[in-house]
Amino acid sequence: MSDKLRQFAHNNKQLLGMTAAIAIMFVTLSFTVKDFMSYQNITNLLSQVAPIAIMASGVTFVLVTGGMDISSPSVMAASAVVGVYYMTATGNLAIGTLVVLAVAAALGLINGFAIAKLKMVPLVVTLSMMTVATGLATVLSGSVGLPILPPEYSGFFNKYTVIGMLIVIPGILDYILKGTSFGREIYYIGNNQNTARISGVNNDKVVIITYVICGICAGIAGIINTASISTARASMGPQSQILDIISAAVIGGVSVNGGKGRVRDACLGALLIVGINNVMNMLGVSDYYTTLIKGSIIIFAMGIASFRAYISAKKGA
Amino acid sequence: MEEKLSLELKNISKSFPGVKALSDVSFSAIPGKVCGIVGVNGAGKSTMMNILGGLLQPDEGGKILINGKEVKIESPKAATDLGIAFIQQEVQVFDTMVVYENVLAADFDKWRKSKNSLVLDRRAMKKEVQRHLDALGSHIDLDAPVYSLTVGEKQLLQIARALSQGGRILLFDEPTSSLSDNEIARLFEIINTLKEQGYIIFYISHFLDEIFTLCDNVIVLRDGQKTGDADISDIDKEKLVSMMLGHMIEGNARSDVRKQSDVVLRAEHISGVKFPKDVSFDLHKGEILGVWGLLGSGRSELFNALLGIDEMTDGRLYYGENGKLDEITQKDLYRHIGYLTEGRHFDGLFLNMTIGNNITSSDLGRFSSRLLGILNTKKEAEESRSLMKQVNVKAVDENMIVSKLSGGNQQKVIIAKWFLKDPDILFMDEPTKGVDIGAKAEIQNLIFEKSEKGMSFVIISSELEEIMSLCDRIIVICEGRLVGEVSKSDFSKDSLMKGIVSQEENHAD
Repeated sequence: MSDKLRQFAHNNKQLLGMTAAIAIMFVTLSFTVKDFMSYQNITNLLSQVAPIAIMASGVTFVLVTGGMDISSPSVMAASAVVGVYYMTATGNLAIGTLVVLAVAAALGLINGFAIAKLKMVPLVVTLSMMTVATGLATVLSGSVGLPILPPEYSGFFNKYTVIGMLIVIPGILDYILKGTSFGREIYYIGNNQNTARISGVNNDKVVIITYVICGICAGIAGIINTASISTARASMGPQSQILDIISAAVIGGVSVNGGKGRVRDACLGALLIVGINNVMNMLGVSDYYTTLIKGSIIIFAMGIASFRAYISAKKGA
Repeated sequence: MEEKLSLELKNISKSFPGVKALSDVSFSAIPGKVCGIVGVNGAGKSTMMNILGGLLQPDEGGKILINGKEVKIESPKAATDLGIAFIQQEVQVFDTMVVYENVLAADFDKWRKSKNSLVLDRRAMKKEVQRHLDALGSHIDLDAPVYSLTVGEKQLLQIARALSQGGRILLFDEPTSSLSDNEIARLFEIINTLKEQGYIIFYISHFLDEIFTLCDNVIVLRDGQKTGDADISDIDKEKLVSMMLGHMIEGNARSDVRKQSDVVLRAEHISGVKFPKDVSFDLHKGEILGVWGLLGSGRSELFNALLGIDEMTDGRLYYGENGKLDEITQKDLYRHIGYLTEGRHFDGLFLNMTIGNNITSSDLGRFSSRLLGILNTKKEAEESRSLMKQVNVKAVDENMIVSKLSGGNQQKVIIAKWFLKDPDILFMDEPTKGVDIGAKAEIQNLIFEKSEKGMSFVIISSELEEIMSLCDRIIVICEGRLVGEVSKSDFSKDSLMKGIVSQEENHAD
């Protein structure tokens, strides 16, 4: 039994580290911040984590192939705006929700196609997609903004549904990445795309699908965000939010060089990042300091990752 | 040349763990002669060059003398200071910089206007570069950006760079591999000019013609030993080849020549972008077919074009199943084959993944459910373990990370990976490259075992001995073309070399 335990600890260093960090954060805060551990605050915190965690899950797929997608928040806003536009035009909320997902998937497909088939640089493609999607959202929502949706929508996607989605969607995605042959192929590509090709993996197809998944995740986040403000607008996906998403993944041990990382850990990273945001907010820290601290955390997390790689390389030699 | 230039190597040896790369090599070179260095892969040429270039230190006991004085070449910098300069196979230039900047790129510090000035004295730089280019008889514009030059001109820059660093002993390492015929002729002129100006010139090449056209004498290495040192006028190609290859054990491990069975793969007129050119062959069931050719002959390119890794510009493939031979697309063919590539780290392994994950990568579908592709990791681990045992990978268990294994064990992991897929045809490019003797024998035995069971092999090897003992039949490739086929009963180094030599003679006409 102790052998198994040791094996588990060895394979899940990241998980244990993250859990410890989160536990420390929660314990400290429950003593220092008034009402932090209240039911209200915890459920609020979790529902705030959901969109970031789900987008981070999608980005994890892309990062593990060795790619990069910085268009998530903009795709989220654009797909939500198109969906809400459709809902207000037709009054059909269910189909409108599917429209959100379809638009998000389509934008992800464009990213994936440009990167896998046209061999364009991921950062450039998704940077362009970011501005295009933001533009699309701004144009459609106009200067007055879209009307408020009927209350059924927010009623359906309430706090508890959202928390449920936070558990179920990353759970499924984590299983796809870790437990299916498709997920394994993603790791193969991220580890060595040449070897993957020789081994018979259809690299282009797999890469395209990861960008589509990333898009769909942005769409799901769009649905959640739409429900929380009962409408959609371009500003709901601030471009700076990508920093939170990427940092969640990186803190969760997802390698920006590809081949390494798990959805589960990226979601815990999201919890940590949103937790920090939340706390800073409660303590009344200015936004400027918040970004400063978050940026430092990413550099620190990446520093730890490369230090670890250095240590293990040294051990191997 | 103010003093009498000379270079002498005495009893140079170099051992690596388990291998003696050079043993007791001595030779000397004098100005005014181009000295060719030849040998098959692994003969010790690069080791010797690396010793001269300061990248490797020779074992105790050897001596290097320059101008009669013993020297120690401790670093590449020391080599440069001693006047030793390399002209590499791959042209190394800064594409976006201009010609004269490229030539002097290694020591900009020398060209500051004053000692601490941040400004370069460009006029003096140009003058210096022009001097060297004139000496080489070149008319390249000093201010032209380097990306606008031809490969030949870029090579010239490298030579000018070597001269500007005070190079007096010039080592050319396969300089013609990317040049056109005209450019090669031009390069030879330049080398001859340099020879007359009193430089010591070493010329390494796999192309025997070039050695005979250019060099005045030739040094032959084989298995780390000097097996020949002759004036070029005293020898002919056949003699040189036998020095390179030595006396082969011409018997082999597999004595029974299998009778011809069904054709499992027929390749017709396979052509690629550069190589191969119009190659056709048949492969029979259970046969081990060797592909022999010198480095740069287009062997690996044949595999890559045939299997669709690189573009196949022309050709047809037929695949035989149950005695019927039908045309097949590259994509469908790939399902029936395995491909062990030459670059273990480049496209052979997932270095940071476990042995198990590497082994199952060739046929992941076998471990996943049909609908959702859910992996059966238990079955994966079991089969990985049994394959590790079968090919004798020495490791703790299947969860070990591949990068921590030795080269031989890594190679066995790749073999295990393809044995897992159990393809009908296994293409292997240098299956025992960088593998120690013990593992080599094991790998060869595994190949025999599998072929007994009906797997067909197509094997590239640079080692004549290996290819002759392994294969049932050998096709000979030269400059991308198929130039000969040798069946088992006719195996000898002569029959294999003849193809290449005669082809080169035809080419020279």
